[in-house]
Parts: sequence; C-alpha cells; structure tokens
Amino acid sequence: MESKWGKIWGLIGLLLLNFVNNVSSLSLTITKVECVYEIVRSEGDIVSGNFVVVDHHIFWSSDHPGLDFSITSPGGDILHNLKGTSGDKFSFKAPRSGLYQFCFHNPLSTPETIAFYIHIGHIPNEHNLAKNEHLDPINVKIAELREALEAVTTEQKYLKSRDAVHRSTNESTKTRVIGYTVGEYMLLTIASVLQVIYIRRLFSKSVGYNRI
Amino acid sequence: MILRSVIMVVVVVGILSSASQALRFELQSGHTKCISEDIKSNSMTVGKYHVVNPNEAYPLPDSLKFAVRVTSPQGNSLHTAEKVQTGQFAFTAAEDGDYMACFWAEDHSPQIIMTVDFDWRSGVQAKDWSNVAKKGQVDVMELELKKLYDTVTSIHEEMFYLREREEEMQALNQATTSKMFWLSFLSLFLCLSVAGIQFWHLKTFFEKKKLI
Repeated sequence: MESKWGKIWGLIGLLLLNFVNNVSSLSLTITKVECVYEIVRSEGDIVSGNFVVVDHHIFWSSDHPGLDFSITSPGGDILHNLKGTSGDKFSFKAPRSGLYQFCFHNPLSTPETIAFYIHIGHIPNEHNLAKNEHLDPINVKIAELREALEAVTTEQKYLKSRDAVHRSTNESTKTRVIGYTVGEYMLLTIASVLQVIYIRRLFSKSVGYNRI
Repeated sequence: MILRSVIMVVVVVGILSSASQALRFELQSGHTKCISEDIKSNSMTVGKYHVVNPNEAYPLPDSLKFAVRVTSPQGNSLHTAEKVQTGQFAFTAAEDGDYMACFWAEDHSPQIIMTVDFDWRSGVQAKDWSNVAKKGQVDVMELELKKLYDTVTSIHEEMFYLREREEEMQALNQATTSKMFWLSFLSLFLCLSVAGIQFWHLKTFFEKKKLI
C-alpha cells in the first residue's frame, strides 16, 4: 500500500518537475529587428523578464532614440510596447498558452548589444490535473517558493547587467576626464607660445619699427 | 487498477510536456546569429539546439541545416558542428567571461528562414537532477528542496559578486574624484606659470630691444 502511493507521488512529482521552465540570461546583437520566441505551456503562467542595452555609450550624445521592445501574444495582440528604452523589466500573466514573441527593434543602423533574461513560471493548480489525481498543497507551496526564488534570480541578473553598464560609464568618464584635461593643458601651452611668437614678430626689426 | 490509470495519465502528459522549454529565434540563410552568455568559472554548462519543423505533418526537410560554433572568451572553440539539424554540447567553464554560440545558415537560392530552438543552461539549471534522484531512491519532495537549496546558494554567491563589483565601482569613483581635484589644482598652477613665463620672457625681450 505504502509503496503504491509512494510511486504515485513520485510520478506526479516528476510530472510537476517538467513544469519548471527557465531560460538563461543571454546577450544578443541587434542590427535591425531581432525576435525571440518562447512557448508558454499553460495559461495563467507568469512571464517575467528584463533587458538592458549593454553599449550604453550610444546614449551619451542624446541623439540615439533608444531601442523599441514589444511582446506579442500568440493571438497576435501586442501585450507590451516600449519605445526608446535603454533597458526595462516586465512581468505579465499569460492570457493564453502558445508561442509568445519578444521583439527588439533598432531604429538606427549601428548594431547594438542587449542582455536579456526571460522566465516563465508555473504554479500547479487544481485545473490542470486529471480527475483521479489530487493536488498535495505542499507541492503548490514548494512551487510558490521556487517562483519567489526565481524572481530574486531574475532581479539579480538585471542588477548585474546594469552594474556592468554603470561600470563601463564610470571607466569611460575617468579616461575622458584625464584625456580632456591633458588636452586642455597642451592647448593652453601652445596658445601662449603662439602669442609670444606673434608679439616677438611684431617687434622684430625686419617688419619695421614704426608700425607699432 | 487506479495505479495503472494514474501511471498512464502521468506518462502521457509527461511525454507531451517533456519537450524542454527553450528560446527560439529565426535564422535566415546566409546570415549569422550569435548568442552570448556570461558564465562563471567552474560552472557546468549544457546546451541543446535543434531546428523546429515548420510543418508538423511532414518530416524535417534536408535543406534546413546550419553550422554551430561555441567559443570561450579567449577565442578557443569549444564545440563546432557543420550542416547539422540537431545537436548538443556540454562543458565546464574554465574561466569567467562571455561564452558565445554562433549559428549560421548557408546561402540558399530561395531565401529560407528557419526557426532554431536553443536551450542553454548553466550552473544550477544544468545539474543533472535525474542522476541525483536515481542514486538514493530520493523522495521527490526532498529532490525539490535540494534544488531550492542549490538555487539559494547560487543567489547568495551572486550577491557576493554584486557586492564586490559595487566596492570596485566605489573605489573607481573615488579615484576619479581625487584625480579631478588634483588636476584642477594643477591646471591653476599651469595657467599661472604660463602667464608668468610669458611675462618674464616678454620683459627680457623688450629690455633687450631697449624699448623699456
């Protein structure tokens, strides 16, 4: 008796394990349009993710309009639309199962690199199971705990990408400060030397005394 | 009887849902697409890729073939495959950095666009949990909790990494501030000394010319 129920729970547990969906954080270079597709297996799954534009220096000149990002559901309607962003987080409850499309559009011709992460989380509930199985509430709690940890992991990946962007900004600031200052010194020296040379020439004998 | 029907249901649903969730992207013939991921050293990484069949009814056409190459941050090629439709690779990352997987499809006279399904997992997600489960007749719940424990450990390590980066950034900003401080003093000093040299030089010049 014990072993039979043990086997049933084992099988149900293994079935539940199949629903752990996850995708690693990835970098992609976008030239015009890049789309990434994800399959959401059951409706009601929470899809969460974030993306950050890694080449942040393009935004310093404030000419770059930023990247466009859109999420399309399998039905064709656009769930989320962001124009001119340099990075964002998103989270939504999938209205239906199917293939979801995450598209990045680059308005300019220079390729940009983005780092993105998408996570689809599923918590088993009563509706998905067949009639003769019943749901152990502890499995639901474990799934909720797992989803909470995945939310922390998602946030960490976002923070890590933003930290990388800030680091590159700061390092470039340091280089530029030193570069511009040294350039300024050299310009100052050259300007003063030119001034002196000009004044000497004004007073030189060949030009003529009486001009001054 | 009940056990048998439960097993049937679980096996059927398990088979239907056992296709591993992964991200998909489109590959145009003649074009290359590269996806890179930041992987920590000594973490196990597993990747699987295959072409998605556009027509479920027909077998996969032979023309949909692509080449793959996985490179380490140093540039060493970890996995290459030419003219394949499916494959997998696994490696343990020797160093921290960006590992890149590039896919390219050869030129084809009518431009074909194929969808490639790519599953890339590293660290906690790459661990082969079925082996752990087999080893000791481990209870499913215990397996789930072991997984959660591993996730928590990886979150903890990631927090340490972020904290370290924060410290480095703070040190960098401090260095930049102090450099700016000293450079502004230096520029003031340089300006005054240039003015002084100009003044002295012109004075001796005019005294020599007997104008003063």
